[in-house]
Amino acid sequence: MKILIPLKQVPDSTVRVKVAPDGKRIAADGITWSISPYDEYAIEMALERKDSDPSTIVAVVTVGPARSRDALRQALAMGCDEASLVLAEEEVAPLAVARALAKVVQDAKPDLVLCGKQASDDDQGFVGPALAEVLGWAHVSTITKVVVSEGAAELWREVEGGHEVWKATLPALATVHKSEKEPRYPSLPGIMKAKKKEIPERPFASLGIDANAPKLEIVSLEPPPARGGGKILKDGDAKALAERLATSLRDEAKVL
Amino acid sequence: MTAPTGGFVVGGVILLLLVVLGFGAFLWRAYRLYRYMRLGRNEARIDHPWRRVRDELIVYLGQRKLLKRPYYLRGLAHAFIFWGFLIITIGTVDLLIDGIFGFHLPGAGSAVFAWTIDLFAVLVLASIAVAAVRRAFFPPPRMHVALDGYVILGMIALLMLTLLVFEGAGLSAGLLERGYTPPPIANGILRSIFSRDLAGVVFPVAWWTHVVTVLAFSAYLPQSKHLHIVTTFPNVFFRKQTPRGQLSLIKDIEQQETFGAATIRDFSWKQLLDGYTCTECGRCSDNCPALATGKPLDPQRIVLDIRDQLLREGAALLADPKARTTAPAHWSERKPEELWACTTCAACVEACPVTIEHIDKIVDMRRNLTLMEGSAPPEAQRAMTNIERAGNPWGAPRESRGDWARELGVPTFAENPNAEYLYFVGCAASVDSRNQKVAVALAQILKAAGVSFAILASEETCNGDPARRIGNEYLWQTQAQRNIETFAKYRIRKVIASCPHCFNTIANEYPQLGGNYEVVHALQLVDRLIAEGKLKIARGTAEAIAYHDPCYLGRHNGVYDPPRAVLDAMPGVERVEIEPYHRERGFCCGAGGGRMWMEEKVGQRVNHRRIDQLLATNSGATKVASGCPFCLIMLEEGVGAKGVQEQVKPVDVLELVAGRLQS
Repeated sequence: MKILIPLKQVPDSTVRVKVAPDGKRIAADGITWSISPYDEYAIEMALERKDSDPSTIVAVVTVGPARSRDALRQALAMGCDEASLVLAEEEVAPLAVARALAKVVQDAKPDLVLCGKQASDDDQGFVGPALAEVLGWAHVSTITKVVVSEGAAELWREVEGGHEVWKATLPALATVHKSEKEPRYPSLPGIMKAKKKEIPERPFASLGIDANAPKLEIVSLEPPPARGGGKILKDGDAKALAERLATSLRDEAKVL
Repeated sequence: MTAPTGGFVVGGVILLLLVVLGFGAFLWRAYRLYRYMRLGRNEARIDHPWRRVRDELIVYLGQRKLLKRPYYLRGLAHAFIFWGFLIITIGTVDLLIDGIFGFHLPGAGSAVFAWTIDLFAVLVLASIAVAAVRRAFFPPPRMHVALDGYVILGMIALLMLTLLVFEGAGLSAGLLERGYTPPPIANGILRSIFSRDLAGVVFPVAWWTHVVTVLAFSAYLPQSKHLHIVTTFPNVFFRKQTPRGQLSLIKDIEQQETFGAATIRDFSWKQLLDGYTCTECGRCSDNCPALATGKPLDPQRIVLDIRDQLLREGAALLADPKARTTAPAHWSERKPEELWACTTCAACVEACPVTIEHIDKIVDMRRNLTLMEGSAPPEAQRAMTNIERAGNPWGAPRESRGDWARELGVPTFAENPNAEYLYFVGCAASVDSRNQKVAVALAQILKAAGVSFAILASEETCNGDPARRIGNEYLWQTQAQRNIETFAKYRIRKVIASCPHCFNTIANEYPQLGGNYEVVHALQLVDRLIAEGKLKIARGTAEAIAYHDPCYLGRHNGVYDPPRAVLDAMPGVERVEIEPYHRERGFCCGAGGGRMWMEEKVGQRVNHRRIDQLLATNSGATKVASGCPFCLIMLEEGVGAKGVQEQVKPVDVLELVAGRLQS
C-alpha cells in the first residue's frame, strides 16, 4: 500500500519569531525551519505502518519555496521512501495548495493520504479537508491511530472519555492529531541516504492552478505585549492578604 | 647440584617434558585468546610511550590503583601476593633451569635472594589467608565468588608451602648447601620439624609437588580470571593515554556505513583485552551510582558479557570471516535500559585496579543504538532535536542565549572583539533561570577582578557533550564544528567555562576536530585570581558548606583542589566533605551522560541518594556547593523532594564568591 503525506515547512517551535517591517508577515531571516509538528506525527504514523509491513511505500510532498527541500530530506531521513516538491516561491493560497496537492495525488495514486491536522504557523487546519473535498474522497479529521485491512481503514479519533472508530473504503484521507510514538529520530545512515536521494520537483505554475484562490488577508501582525513583573503580597495574616489579593484582582488586574 | 633431578639425566628429561607440556598448554590457550582478541577492530595505542612506561611502574609494579580508599587492607594483601609472585617467579625459573640443566641463574644463589624469597613466601601465605577469609566470610557485595578463586588461592598457597618445605627439608637433610646463613623460616622453623631421614623423603616430594603445581598453574591460567596476572601488564601499557573525558572520534563520519558497537567485531582489540583482564573483583560495580540506586546497569557485567560472548563465538568467527555475530549478550538478551542508565561518571573507571575502560564500551554501544537504530529514549531524542534546531537541549530560543547578560553590560565578541577571554556560558547558564544566576555571579567576579572577557550570546551553540554521550557523534561534531568556526572568527584563544561539561568537551575533545584552546573552569580561574590577590573576599556569616564534586570536574579532569581552595579562602566558611563520598569517590548527581534529559523511573533517583549521603554526614552544613549547572539542578530537585530545602541549600561556589566580593 502507498501512503502520501503532504507536509508543510514552518518556523521551528524554538524560534522567537519577529514581525517583518511591513507588519503583515514574520521576518524570515535567521529562522530555523522544520516540519510542522502534526505533519511529523503523520509521518511517524505512516512509518509505524511501514515497520509492521515493509511493503508499505511512504511518500511525502510539499508545496513551497526551495528551502522546503530540507523538510523533505528530513522526512526521507526518518525513513520515507519518496519525496517530491511543488515549487512555489510566492505564497500560495490554501485552497490553491489543496488543488495542487490533488494533482499530485492523482499522479501518485496513494491508498491513503495523511495530513497533519493543522500547520503550526497559521493553525488554519484547512488544507487537509480541502484536499479531500477537491479529490471527492472520504475524510476523517484528528485521528490518533489507523488500522489498515483489505482495501479499507479503521480510523480512530480520541473523543471525550473514549474513542470513535470510523471505517473508510480506500482511498481516503485523514488528518492526524498524534501518532502512537513520538516522531522518530533519524538514523545517521538514514540522513546520509536522504542527502543523496533525488527529489523531483515541478513548478507550481506548470499545474495550471490560479495561486490567488480566495484567502484571508492579514491586516497586521504584532507581538504580544511584554509581560509585566508579578506582584508578591507579603505582610499580614491570611485574611488581610486574601482581602488585598481580591482588591488587586478587581481593581488592578480587573479580572473579578 | 641441589635439585632432586640430578641434572639432565632421567629426572631432568622428565622435568623438561613436564615443562613443555605445562607451558605448551599455556601458550596454546593463550595464542587462541590472542587470535580471538584480534577479531576486534584496529586501534592505535602507542602514543605517549613514556607515560605508558610510567604507568607500568606506578599502576602495575606500584599497585597504585589497588591501594585506594576504602580498599587499603585488601589492596595491601594483593600487593604482597603480586610482589611475591614477581620475585618468586624468578626463583621458579631458576629452579626449573637447575632441575633440567643443573645450573643457576646469576645471583640466584645469593643470601639476599634466598632471604627475600623466604620473606615473601610468608607474606604471600599471610595475604592468601586474608583473601580466603574475606572471600569466604566477608565477600564484597558485587564480587563473584566462584570456585575459580579458591582453586587459584589454593594453588598459590601450595606453591608457597612446598617452596618453604623443600627448602627446610633440603637444609635438614644436608641436600642444600648454602654458603650463607639460610633464611629464617625455612631454616629456623621448618628445618627443625623434619628429622634428617624424614627430610630426605620430604625434600623430593615437596620439590616435585612445587614444580608440578607451577606447571599446572600455568596450564590452568588462560581459562581463569587469574589470567589477569598476564594481561594486566599489556592492559596497563595500552590503556588510554588521551584525557579520560575524551571519547573516541569517528573520523570521516559522513563516509562511514556502520556506527558504534553491535557485535564482537565492532569492539576494538583493546576493549576485548579489557575482558581478559577483568579480575571480577566488582569494584566498578561497588561504585556505580546507577547500580547502587537499583538500575539494571552493572558495569562489571558489561565487561564480562563482552568477554563471554567473545569466548562463545570466537572460534566460529575465526573460521568464517563473514560470520555474523549476535549482539553482545547484555543488550540483546537483556535490555538497552542498562546502557541508558549510565551517567558516564567514571566511578567504575576510577575504581578499576587494572585500567579497564567501561565508559567507552557503553558509549560505543549507545552509538549503535542512536546512530544506526535511531532508538535513543524519546526524551533523549527530544533533547537532540532541540540541540539540532535551537542549539540547546532545553529547546529555548537561540536568540535568548544572551538575555541574562543584557542588563549587566557584559559585551559580546561582536561588540568587543579584543576581549582576552571567551566566557563560554553553556546552555544551562544561558537558558535555565536558576543557572542564569551563576552566569551573573561569574560575570560580577570577572568584572571585579578586572578580567577582560566577552560572551558569544546567540552565536554560541551547545558544546555537544550531551549528544556525544547519548551516542550521537554526528550531532556532537556538527555542534563542535560550529563553535570552532565561531571561535576562529573572533580569534579566540582562551576560554572560561562555568560548566564542567563545556569545560571537558572544549578542553579535551575539541582538539580532536582541530580546536585547541587554553580552557579553564571558572573555579580554577577564581582560585588563581584569589591567589594573585586580584579578588578580595569579605568576611561573611560563619557557616558550614559541603562541597559536592562534579564528575566532569573531579574524576574526569582531576580538578579536586581549586574549588576547595576557593571555599577555604572565604573567611567564615567551614568546608566540610560528604564523607566518604568525595574527591575521587564523589557520587554522581545523576545528570551526566545525557541522563539530565532522560526519565529516571527505576529504583531510587541518583540525586536523592546523593542528598541521603549529604544528610548522613550530620556535618551541620547549611549549604551544599558545587561547580556544575547539572549538579545544581539535581541537588535542588533532591532537597526539594526530601523536604530539606530549608535545612541545606544547593548553590554554586561562584554564587558564594560573588556574594562576598570586597569592593
